[in-house]
Amino acid sequence: MTAQDSPRHLGGTSRRRFLATTGALGSVAALAACGGATGGGSGGGGEELVGVGNNGKAGSGRSGDGADQLFIAGFQWSPPTNFNTFAGSPAWPASGNVAQYIYETLLRFHIVSGELLPGLAASHEVNGNESISLTLQDGITWHDGSELTVDDVLYTFELGKIDPGLGIASFWTEVDEMTAEGNTLNVAINAERKNVGAVLATLAQQYIVPKAVFEKAAEETGNKVASWETDEAMGTGPFTLELADQTQIILARHDDYWGKDFYGGLPAMSKIIHPIFKSNEDGNIKFQNGELDVMQQFVPQISKMWEAGKPVGTYLREEPYFVPSSMPMFLMNTTKPGLDDPAVRKALAYAVDYASIAETAMSGYSSQVLASLVIPDGAEDQWLDRDKAEADGWAFDAVKAAELLEEAGYEKGSDGFYAKDGEKLGPWKLITPQGWTDWNAALEIVAKNFQDIGVDATTNFPQEAQTTSAIQNGDFDMACWYVAGTNPAAPWQRFSDVMSNVDMAPLGETAYRNFSRWENGEINDLLETAAAAPDDESKKEAIAALDDLYRSEVPAFPLMYRPDEFFEFNASNWSNWPTEDNDYAPPMFRGAGNEWIFQLKKIGD
Amino acid sequence: MSTVNTPMAEETAAPRANTLRSFNFSGRFWVSLVLVVFVIVLGLAGLVYPTGPGEKVGSLYDAPGGGLPLGTDNFGHDVLAVLMAGTRTSLIIGLVAGVVATTIGVTVGLLAGYVGGWFEELLMGVTNVVLAIPAIVVLILISMSLPNSTIWSLALVIGITSWPWTARAVRAQASSVATREHIDVARLSGARLPGILLKDVLPYILSYTVMAFVLQVSGAILAEAALSMLGLGPSGADSLGSQLHWSLAFQAVASGAWWAFLPPTIVLTLVSFGFLLLQASLDEVFNPRLRRGKRKQMKQAAARRAAEARQLLERNDEASDETGAADEASDETGAADEASDEAGPAPDHSERSRAGEPS
Repeated sequence: MTAQDSPRHLGGTSRRRFLATTGALGSVAALAACGGATGGGSGGGGEELVGVGNNGKAGSGRSGDGADQLFIAGFQWSPPTNFNTFAGSPAWPASGNVAQYIYETLLRFHIVSGELLPGLAASHEVNGNESISLTLQDGITWHDGSELTVDDVLYTFELGKIDPGLGIASFWTEVDEMTAEGNTLNVAINAERKNVGAVLATLAQQYIVPKAVFEKAAEETGNKVASWETDEAMGTGPFTLELADQTQIILARHDDYWGKDFYGGLPAMSKIIHPIFKSNEDGNIKFQNGELDVMQQFVPQISKMWEAGKPVGTYLREEPYFVPSSMPMFLMNTTKPGLDDPAVRKALAYAVDYASIAETAMSGYSSQVLASLVIPDGAEDQWLDRDKAEADGWAFDAVKAAELLEEAGYEKGSDGFYAKDGEKLGPWKLITPQGWTDWNAALEIVAKNFQDIGVDATTNFPQEAQTTSAIQNGDFDMACWYVAGTNPAAPWQRFSDVMSNVDMAPLGETAYRNFSRWENGEINDLLETAAAAPDDESKKEAIAALDDLYRSEVPAFPLMYRPDEFFEFNASNWSNWPTEDNDYAPPMFRGAGNEWIFQLKKIGD
Repeated sequence: MSTVNTPMAEETAAPRANTLRSFNFSGRFWVSLVLVVFVIVLGLAGLVYPTGPGEKVGSLYDAPGGGLPLGTDNFGHDVLAVLMAGTRTSLIIGLVAGVVATTIGVTVGLLAGYVGGWFEELLMGVTNVVLAIPAIVVLILISMSLPNSTIWSLALVIGITSWPWTARAVRAQASSVATREHIDVARLSGARLPGILLKDVLPYILSYTVMAFVLQVSGAILAEAALSMLGLGPSGADSLGSQLHWSLAFQAVASGAWWAFLPPTIVLTLVSFGFLLLQASLDEVFNPRLRRGKRKQMKQAAARRAAEARQLLERNDEASDETGAADEASDETGAADEASDEAGPAPDHSERSRAGEPS
């Protein structure tokens, strides 16, 4: 499948900037400026609807069975086989960190404000960088009516110790101990690592599972919980799994949901249906026609849909339409001659035409890229020193790129490529998985830009598995790859992903971070300081120090920003979608995005 | 596939006043020539077209208009410029792959057909095995394992996977030519194997080779398009297939950007149709039996041949010699027919009977 269902994340643009670049869509903006729409159907007759298409339009509602159902797509691409949330690739919505319709998390991350909102935990308190305490909500029940207790929560995290092969096992490298007292949980953070952000990120992403069910599973499988197969999923969420077959997954509303009072009612839809498509095109056409209400599939030029009068909308009315929250990185293997020179890496960063990538490869869904590992928007903006990034950073300037190479002692040979001491810059291969179309197109542009300044580069798109192992083993020249997106641990997590020298794997062995294999003496100390920063002031300082080092060494650079999830809706049947003007919930399915499922309003009622 | 039939011997046996007329180019030939020339000119026009295929002149899928006759593609490049460059790439790949495939096929076929015996069994055994493996699968596997794919490596890969049918057909022809008397003469006069193959066998099947080459070229262009559409095309070069690949990847069909995918599709259709038609009409030129034309021309030709035959008969009483030579030729035709699954009377027999009727 294409790039969008892979675990990529990305990051952003400033809102100021899109407001400044609205010329082309002026007319649409003018239409949209009224902010509301009149329901096409009968209903209140002229009643103002909010949270509708970017053109201000709304549909008139479906009739028949579909009227009370919500159709969603973009999360499941193959027939669902296993609903064990700990398995390798569980079916939606049991797969980790997606919409919390069946399973729920303790905390919920808000991608725009950066806040951690209550989930199963009514409140949480961070005590410096020593511990976190959480208090559970009252009266949480599982779908079978039994009560959720602190034991369930403790057991969920204990599973990481029972089966060290599970992802949750990494929780215990950051945490020393987790204890309960009444309804309150206390998490003692590892005294050496002091990485509060990473712990909060896990607390906001880990689904809480019923101890009774998974104890049995662990017993059956000899503690290999990941290998357990089940077609049932019992959680605490507002929906239960009703049916899953080759063509669709159907969730039914759980009328005894514990959170009725917390959310002020039950969701309006009686069912959520996720049809399983073979390709993006199938889903995109259904979405355009209003047969899907909301999805997270990549749609090139989504603006054409609302320009054609469809009630299609996105969180932001203007480009880039989606809130930037992940940052596909251009990695350079610093063990290769030429690429081991920071001056060359910086020159390459100057050579890339970022605007072209944003405009064509990304369909305009990316804002201007800044020379920083902090995403200049949303939750991360507070950690960014924008002036410094603009002053010391790079931007597209082919002349400057060539100058930098010449300053560093490189000379253009008769073949048109730069070389120094007989060592030619290239030929280098730019890799990324075949079928991740936006990244493929971005690398085509980068390769051309490099050729233009006199660096020999061509693209090569192997299969995803091959690309992954090439990048992890250091068997590549240059690559486009993902690093941590916006989450409670960002931007620290991203600095660690790109630059950390902790547990450096030698070439040929699997590395899990710093794929550029960039070596530096100071970085580990800087990362530790930033992770353990006791307050926001010192954290900002530490992040700024990391960003300075990053800009002087350029071990990798961002090509564009992407949304964490593409959040696209069609207001044919439901209104009150979250948008910039109706921002009661963030444009996300996971985490704090759970809010909007309770607030959607049926058009025509 | 159609066959050659020959007959250089016959042509000389019935000499005609006007050599050009004897080619008897049909309307089909001229149509195919126009198509092929059009595509070649389109490819060459890219060399003088002011916009380069890598120049960003617009945004994602700008509609045609405003100096861009075919709009822009997903990179914001001028579709017409990319189309010209792509046509050139496709033609180069087609020609190179066609040369490679025809060279290998003809060499294997000539050797197998002429030498015969266990050597023939061996070569044809290998050929049949290669023929049994679907070429596209081999192509995909080789292209994926190539560290870097350029238009030259791609052409080579296509060439070395598409020769077997040429080899089989050429073998059939060569083994028939090998039994002719002039081969014995050559052998007696001390000619060596390469000399005999090149000077005494190849010329007799040259017409067939030319047609096989034309088919190989069009096949290679389509193979390149198929590979490139799967994303295995040459990196850093535009081709018709890679244009289709990107328009699929960026959902040009769904977003109504017809200018991104229709032009390469049309050029591909034209190029393969043009080459196939060219092959078919060349067949007519080389094979008198397949000649078509206006009824009047046919009648004229028949009358002319009848007259020529009569003259020959009058002048020459040693008709038995002629018959011997003609029998020889019919052997070869039989072999060729076998190779091409084409049934029907051997042309020289029909020629002869037709020529005989009026008398």
